[in-house]
Amino acid sequence: MIPPRSATDARILAIDDEPANLALISAVLLREGYSQVETLTDPRQATERHLAFGPDLVLLDLMMPSIDGYALLDSLGRLIGPDDLVPIMVLTADTSIEAKRRALALGARDIVTKPFDVFEFALRVANLVELRMMFQRVKAAAALS
Amino acid sequence: MVRGIANWWANRPLATKGLVVVAVPLLIFLGSVAALYAISRQESRAEQDVRLTIAIQNDVNEVHALLAEASSGVRGYLLTGEPRFLEPYQRAEQLVPQVTRRLRGAIRDAEASAHLARIEALAGQKREGLSVLLAARRRTGADIVADPTIAAGLAANKQVLDALRGEIERMQERERELLAARQDRLNEVRRNGLFVTGLLTLAGLVGSLFAVFLFSSGIVRRVQRLERDAVLLAQGEALPEREVGRDEIGLLAVRMTEASALLRAREQALREGEERFRLVIEGVRDYGIFALDPQGHVVSWNTGAERIKGWKAEEIVGRHFSTFYPGDDARERSMRNLADAVRDGRTEDEGWRIRKDGTLFWANVVITALRDEGGELRGFSKVTRDITERRRAQEALEHARQEAEEASTAKSVFLSRMSHELRTPLNAILGFAQLMELDRSGRAGSEAASIDQILRAGRHLLALIDEVLDIARIEAGKLGMDIIPVPLGETMSEAVGLSLPEAESQRIAIIQNVGHQPVVAADRRRLLQVLLNLLSNAIKYNRPGGEVAISAAVRDGRARVEVTDTGIGVDPEQAGDLFQPFTRLAAGAARTEGTGLGLSLSRALVEAMGGAIGYTPRADGLEGACFWFELPLAAQTSTPEQVPAKAARAWPAASRRLTILLIEDNLANAQLIEAVAARHWPRAHIVNAMQASLGLNLALRHRPDLVLLDLHLPDKDGDWVLEQLARAYPDLPVILLTADALAAQADWASRGAAAVLTKPIDVAALLEAVDAALGERAQ
Repeated sequence: MIPPRSATDARILAIDDEPANLALISAVLLREGYSQVETLTDPRQATERHLAFGPDLVLLDLMMPSIDGYALLDSLGRLIGPDDLVPIMVLTADTSIEAKRRALALGARDIVTKPFDVFEFALRVANLVELRMMFQRVKAAAALS
Repeated sequence: MVRGIANWWANRPLATKGLVVVAVPLLIFLGSVAALYAISRQESRAEQDVRLTIAIQNDVNEVHALLAEASSGVRGYLLTGEPRFLEPYQRAEQLVPQVTRRLRGAIRDAEASAHLARIEALAGQKREGLSVLLAARRRTGADIVADPTIAAGLAANKQVLDALRGEIERMQERERELLAARQDRLNEVRRNGLFVTGLLTLAGLVGSLFAVFLFSSGIVRRVQRLERDAVLLAQGEALPEREVGRDEIGLLAVRMTEASALLRAREQALREGEERFRLVIEGVRDYGIFALDPQGHVVSWNTGAERIKGWKAEEIVGRHFSTFYPGDDARERSMRNLADAVRDGRTEDEGWRIRKDGTLFWANVVITALRDEGGELRGFSKVTRDITERRRAQEALEHARQEAEEASTAKSVFLSRMSHELRTPLNAILGFAQLMELDRSGRAGSEAASIDQILRAGRHLLALIDEVLDIARIEAGKLGMDIIPVPLGETMSEAVGLSLPEAESQRIAIIQNVGHQPVVAADRRRLLQVLLNLLSNAIKYNRPGGEVAISAAVRDGRARVEVTDTGIGVDPEQAGDLFQPFTRLAAGAARTEGTGLGLSLSRALVEAMGGAIGYTPRADGLEGACFWFELPLAAQTSTPEQVPAKAARAWPAASRRLTILLIEDNLANAQLIEAVAARHWPRAHIVNAMQASLGLNLALRHRPDLVLLDLHLPDKDGDWVLEQLARAYPDLPVILLTADALAAQADWASRGAAAVLTKPIDVAALLEAVDAALGERAQ
């Protein structure tokens, strides 16, 4: 049985090669009250950290120098598996419609183009956290019955 | 003279000539017959003369004999007085006149007539003398001697008889002469006849020979000559000009000579044509044209072939054309080409070929099989072009294209990276500035103003980046356009709506002319972008409290939008630079904060949608600017107003209490159909079966109004279910569902299906099919 948690307890993993962006994301999330935020600048450690941290939400930058963001998105999706729901929000500077479609098709729950409006970003994060919480409640209810 | 006759003869028609040839011997023969007849007539007359002479002689002798017998009788009587001696006298008295009469009728000779007259006279005297003697005897009786008269009479008689005898002898002498003469004549006539007969025979012979000669010379020889001419003609040789007659044979000869001349003229024309053709072929320089025998050996060669391949005709004729193919398998490849040409009639090939000097060239080769009228393969024609240059050009072009593509790809990658590289730092700048702004309550006024400046500058930079990248994308052809029919009026209203806050802040009124609503072929989002841009400019560069008018019209098959403002307008000298990047008009520069890329981007977008954009001074002469753009009209004629009308149509199914049986094993499809049914037919009851057998049972139990049947079911084929349903409930409409587009093509209507729908299911098609099936049933 998973103990019920409040939204601000959500574990958020942010992956971006740009420390300034990670700093911004941390600042915004902290301001919104999220207490468990992990940041990662080296995407090659993403799966490892994902397994270790067990996040409720992943924030993923798609354009990173050392790795193909889409491949990483795909492998994270496989890591989570079909029986679990860990929303992935893609952050990208690529505004093209193709990039959006591709990311969503690979399982991203939301996509935000950089530079983002911090309010919008915070609201979208809140939505995804809510989704995750609801999934966990449903799963817990199913486990109880 | 002879020549004239010969000409005359030659000119006669053949009928005349035949007549002459036949008539000449015939005439000679007729002449002979006539001559022989005349001769025989002469001969018979001569014979008759001879016979007459002999008869005259006999008669004369008879007269003489009669008189002599009469005389001796009289003498006997005189001596004896016996009457029996008087008999000869009496016979003479009776016969002599008869005979002399006959003689007179027969004698034609004058001398003989004279003799006869004298004989007659003497015979008269004799008979008279005898009668005198007889009278004297009667008077005197037996004593005759005593009577002198008797003696005297006897003497006189004797004299007369002698004279008569003399006369008869002379006459006979005359007749003998005549007989001899006539017999001579007869002999002469016979001799003459013999001669004439001989002569005529000779003439007949000569005449026949002459006729044959005529025939031979006039006809046979000329026919023979004609025959020889015909042989010459058949051999295609020219006939000599010759003097010929004007009869049929002559005309035939003339025609043959004409035919010969015509043939010669044609032959010459043909030869000249062939010569010309050969010269043309030989003279062609750009194409190697040559012929091959059926085995592939070169039999002809032209200048072009020599130029392209380097071989001279005398070097290559007779060699196999595989010489031109490089590589070890030259023979096989060349023969394969020939085989292709034999099979298809013609084959075209491109590839490397080898020159005499061993260098290679890229050739285009067309080999055509040459067949005679009987279809027999006579060889091949081969046309070769050296297209090495063209191939190089093509390769260069291909290379250039690849380079361009690579460059384009590189540009895309660059754009994408640039976007990322520019946006990433901006993200932090704007993000932190926003955070600081949120916490400004604790900050000094100057600090708050600084944050405001950072935010404003950052946003301006972001807008610049976006527009620069958009323009770059359009120029690189990387901006995906989704061209669809767009109702222009609606988009204009939307743009006006979005521009209103900005306009209101400047106290500027926007007047929209919504009279006409053409449907244009455009990307809706990009069209809106252009409209917003033009409206934004019209507001920005307007005077406070001014007006902006936007209108649309159709002109020359294109939609034209005009945005007019009441600003100060554009200096005509600067109008040309309006659509260049970063051109900002001096007048407005001071107080406007556009990126300076709006018009450039608008132009790029409009042109990418197949339209045009431009600036004109206001047509009404008032102060202000007018920007316009044109877009192609959508080919589709249906206007958006019709769509809601269709959607609002009352579905018959909607108002009825329905039972729909759905036989479908795919859960997702079943859910989709149930969802559609719930929305469109709220009173419908959906019964779902995942298996065919269960479906049939449910059909029996529920008596549905409609069946939706998947053709691919786990237990039985939908095909079989359809058959069962059609048999049990012939009125029950069945709509088939299948993912197999090919199966959907089959003739299901004849097997009782109302409609066939392919998956994925088009909701509109499903609604229509259900509606049609139920509507049909209700009737």
